[in-house]
Amino acid sequence: MNSLSTYLIISALLFSMGLMGILQRRNLIGMLISVELLLNAANLNFMAFNRFLAPDPVIGQIIALFVMGLAAAEAAIGLSIILALYRKMHSINIERAQRLKG
Amino acid sequence: MGALFHDPILLAIVLGTNLPFLSMAVILLFTRSNPKLSSQISVGAILVSAVSAIYLLAKLHCASPLQYQTLWFSSDKLLIAFGYYLDPLSLLMLTIVGVIACLVQIYSLGYMAGDPGYSRYYAFQSLFAWAMLNMVIAGSMLQLFIYWEMVGLASYFLIGFYYEKWSASQAGKKAFVMNRVGDVGFFLGLIWLVIGFGNLGIPELNHAAATQGLPQHVLTVAALLIFCGVIGKSAQFPLLTWLPDAMEGPTPVSALLHSATMVAAGVYMFSRIFPFFSASPDAMAVALAIGTITMLLSGTMAMVTYDLKQVWAYSTVSQLGMMVMALAAGGYFAGVFHLTTHAGFKALLFLCSGIFIHEFHTNDMRIIGKKGGRRLKIPMACIAVGALALSGVFPFSGFFSKEAILGVLAAQPNKIWLAAALLGAVMTAYYSFRLIFHLLFPKDGIEEKQHEEHGHSSHGHEEDHHGYIFWAMAIPVMILAGVSLVLGFVEHPIEHFLIGHIVEAHPVAHGAEHGGGEWLMIMGVSAGLLGIAVAWFEFGRKGASRKGFLSYFPAVWKLFDRRWFLDIFYRKSLDTFVYGGLTSLFTKNDRRVIDGGIDGICFFTEGSGRLFSFLQSGMLQYNLLMMVLAAGVAVLYLLF
Amino acid sequence: MEMAGFPILTAILSTTILGLLIIIFIPPEKTKLIKQVSLASATVGLVLCIWLYYAYDHQKGGLQFVERILWVKSLGIYWFNGVDGINLPMMLLTSIVLFTAIWTMWELENRVKEFFALIFLLVAGVYGVFMSMDLFWIFVWYDVSLFPMYPLIAIWGGTRKEYGAMKLTLYLLAGSALILPAIIYLWVAGGAHTFDLFELQRIGFSAFDQKMTFIMLYLGFGILAAVWPFHTWSPVGHVAAPTAVSMIHAGVLMKLGAYGILRIGMTLCPAGAQYWSSLMALLACIGIVYGALVGLAQTDLKYVIGYSSVSHMGVVGLGLATMSVNGINGAVFQMFAHGVMTALFFSSVGYIYDRTHTKIIPELGGLSKTMPIASSFFIVAALAGIGVPLMASFWAELLVFIAAVKVFPVGGIAALVGLIISALFMLRVVQRTFYGEKNPKWEHIPDVSGFLAVPRVILMSIILFFGMFPKIMLDVIQSTVIPFVNRF
Repeated sequence: MNSLSTYLIISALLFSMGLMGILQRRNLIGMLISVELLLNAANLNFMAFNRFLAPDPVIGQIIALFVMGLAAAEAAIGLSIILALYRKMHSINIERAQRLKG
Repeated sequence: MGALFHDPILLAIVLGTNLPFLSMAVILLFTRSNPKLSSQISVGAILVSAVSAIYLLAKLHCASPLQYQTLWFSSDKLLIAFGYYLDPLSLLMLTIVGVIACLVQIYSLGYMAGDPGYSRYYAFQSLFAWAMLNMVIAGSMLQLFIYWEMVGLASYFLIGFYYEKWSASQAGKKAFVMNRVGDVGFFLGLIWLVIGFGNLGIPELNHAAATQGLPQHVLTVAALLIFCGVIGKSAQFPLLTWLPDAMEGPTPVSALLHSATMVAAGVYMFSRIFPFFSASPDAMAVALAIGTITMLLSGTMAMVTYDLKQVWAYSTVSQLGMMVMALAAGGYFAGVFHLTTHAGFKALLFLCSGIFIHEFHTNDMRIIGKKGGRRLKIPMACIAVGALALSGVFPFSGFFSKEAILGVLAAQPNKIWLAAALLGAVMTAYYSFRLIFHLLFPKDGIEEKQHEEHGHSSHGHEEDHHGYIFWAMAIPVMILAGVSLVLGFVEHPIEHFLIGHIVEAHPVAHGAEHGGGEWLMIMGVSAGLLGIAVAWFEFGRKGASRKGFLSYFPAVWKLFDRRWFLDIFYRKSLDTFVYGGLTSLFTKNDRRVIDGGIDGICFFTEGSGRLFSFLQSGMLQYNLLMMVLAAGVAVLYLLF
Repeated sequence: MEMAGFPILTAILSTTILGLLIIIFIPPEKTKLIKQVSLASATVGLVLCIWLYYAYDHQKGGLQFVERILWVKSLGIYWFNGVDGINLPMMLLTSIVLFTAIWTMWELENRVKEFFALIFLLVAGVYGVFMSMDLFWIFVWYDVSLFPMYPLIAIWGGTRKEYGAMKLTLYLLAGSALILPAIIYLWVAGGAHTFDLFELQRIGFSAFDQKMTFIMLYLGFGILAAVWPFHTWSPVGHVAAPTAVSMIHAGVLMKLGAYGILRIGMTLCPAGAQYWSSLMALLACIGIVYGALVGLAQTDLKYVIGYSSVSHMGVVGLGLATMSVNGINGAVFQMFAHGVMTALFFSSVGYIYDRTHTKIIPELGGLSKTMPIASSFFIVAALAGIGVPLMASFWAELLVFIAAVKVFPVGGIAALVGLIISALFMLRVVQRTFYGEKNPKWEHIPDVSGFLAVPRVILMSIILFFGMFPKIMLDVIQSTVIPFVNRF
């Protein structure tokens, strides 16, 4: 159980769920949460590789911390975009945002 | 510049020929709103020109040809000179042009009085005088061509002088375009000469040795092409129909440009490089045929028209044809002399007709006769003098020049030309006196009463300036009548003056002019008298039918009246081939093929863009899906 | 070739750039000031160009007033300017047309600032192409001059302006898409890492390279010179463009095309030009006759002039195709003469259009009565267009036809027939527009005022001046053309 592949499988599952969420959810908030899942999958990977393979125990953790910070920033910007979009079209359904249709 | 003031001859040339240009510029720029001043400036300028022309004639009449030349510009090996060439021919022509232009401008003071375009009229008259005088003394054929075109331009403006009238502007355009057809031939001929001969100087071209160096076919082609210019300018067959239409212009213009001087420019050009033309017998034969056809065709046209000016217009064409015949048959002097006398009496005829037209406001000879045209004694007498001269009756000037031409033609081996000329002479006399008798003896007598009433109602105000206006018109007419009377008797001095310098080069041509005998003179005179007699029988005598024998042949009448359907032919072919054919074809090509093709490419691009734009659904998630799938494919590709 | 004295060419170029910069900093409401600044800067350019023309020593000939500075070493790009007998008349023409065009537009009210700024940008490009002797810069300036045409036509234009602007831009860019590869080809084939025109000329290219690049350059520049069958953008563009733009466009911009063929194509690829010369002559002759015939059927004044330009540019093309001194002399002279003449044409039509709001010939008529002076400008231009002697274009046509009849007799004669047709269609337009009964609709229209007559009078006098004294121009032109042709 306590092997690298377990973590990697969990992280892959997490990533797939996130990807699924992004591709399929029509709710922008849901998509944002899915993005968090993607990032967390990556975080898990970093931690797992760090734990089993890397000689230096800190580097993976540092990167994970960076990613968390990045996720916070991303959530802030994403939410503000969603807010702006909501003001414009009174909805957060992504199907309404199709201005770029050719 | 210094030479200009030290050489009185050069000064006379430059002043005499260029003052009219200055006057045009001044009128157009400054005095347009002051008609009186404009006319004074113009007449003053042309007076100087006439005086300097006479001065030059007097000063140089027995000197050898004088040449002034300076380089205008050069391009490669091509040297274009600007210069003056004064030989007897150009001096004679300079005098004719100067004097007649001067008389016509004085006449116009009366004729054009009160016209709203008075200033403009004098500006264009000055333009014409400038161009014509410069053309006459041009030192090279190119320079001659340049002023030749400018003369045509002046003619375009003056024909279309009453530009509000559609027919007038149409006639101006027709004249310009038909002239252009001839001029392009002329231009091409000059280019041909530049390439083949390398020089366009008139003395060089006339130098026998120079032209002999050229191959015969080059010479013939060049001569024929240059002759196209004569055809256009002197209204020869097949470009003769512009001249009758040109009568839309004011009558003094018709007198000056379209009979006495400008149309004679073609003949002048022919005689200008006469030795050059004579070097090509083929070209001369063509010219002879064209001259003859022209003379006969336009003679027939003149026999049926009732329009005063049209008669003289056709007659001008016919006489020009006669001059071309004379020159083409080798009669240098005969042609030039006929040009000289014709300039005098034809200007006279037009100016007299102008007085009638001015008085009665119509061009129809029947109406003028009915309204009492013969009461105007001075013009009536003068027009009779002109008609006698035109018919070639002794002792008027036309007699002498016509005899000279007949003499030349008689020397031709083929007598058909002589016969044609005699037929032409009969027709000439017939139509001139048909007109005279119409004026003198109108059909139902003169409408006395109407004229009286007319006199009472409007004579009062006409009388006011009648004196000035009438005499402004009458004096030039009388001068010209006098000239027509005397000119014939100076035939031999003129001949000596002209031939003296050319006789060495062409002894044959000279000899030919004295080939005729007494029988020729008798034939010439009797041809004229025959025409007059027929006219008398039909229009003059008491109880005459006043219809003309041609009215018994309606088809022929129509043929003559419609100018042998030449105009219709031109109109039709222009409409069919140019407007209907090429122009519309090319326009469609532009719209459909070229633009259509380009627009097609644009539509294709746009359409294919639209076709592929369905991929762009605007859904963010599809884009992402595509991205993921693409990444997946890439990963698979990299792994396996 | 080093810097010699005052860099007058850069100074001429900078009059336009400076004008542009000053206009940018003037508030848009001050239209009068903007116009004054524009006219002042155009005047400085005109004076400098006249001085340049006067100071050019045609006895010596060759390239003078040279400025040459290395700009990018690795690519061999030079800031290399100079004038010789071929581009000197073009510089003079540009300054004249710019000056008169700005004056003609004095009554403009709509977005004045942007208009004059764009005009200066356009003319900066034109000056740049004419004076530059470096392929890279020629191309850059060429594209600089193309770009402002689109907004100028699309914003200030008239009939079908978007269509006209789009068509023109696409055509010209297609042309420049042919020119750029040709220039790169030459740079690579030269192998000397230089864009310097004269160094490339010294290198010389193989016959195959010359044939390939010449046809690309010919077609690319030929589009701008309205060579048949790539001419249809030009009448459409002229019709759509506002007066000053038409003037600059037909007067100067179209010359860029012919100039490019001569300056790049024939200089660098003489053998290629020789190889393609019969094609050039054929297209030129078709253009002369075709343009005149199509012009005959037009009912819009500007279309008529547009097609007459096609015909006249055909004369230029024919002159170039003869590859002889007379032909090229005539072609360059014709470029100048046609530029001035067309500017006069559009300038006078512009006045009529401003006042009557129509340029459809059947709707006009009788204008000679109401506006004699404005009409006479057009009539003079028409006469110049017909090729009446003592107008500049007559000499140009004479020289071209002398050369053409010698080299291509059939084509030359066919093109001469075009002269008859051009007389017919010009006079037809004059008759229908200016002659005939007075039209009551236009009775209230004032004749052109003294102030607005000035630019037209200037153009008219230039036509007449060079018509009477062609030597002044031809001496300059042939000082360069004779050695140029001797290289063939």
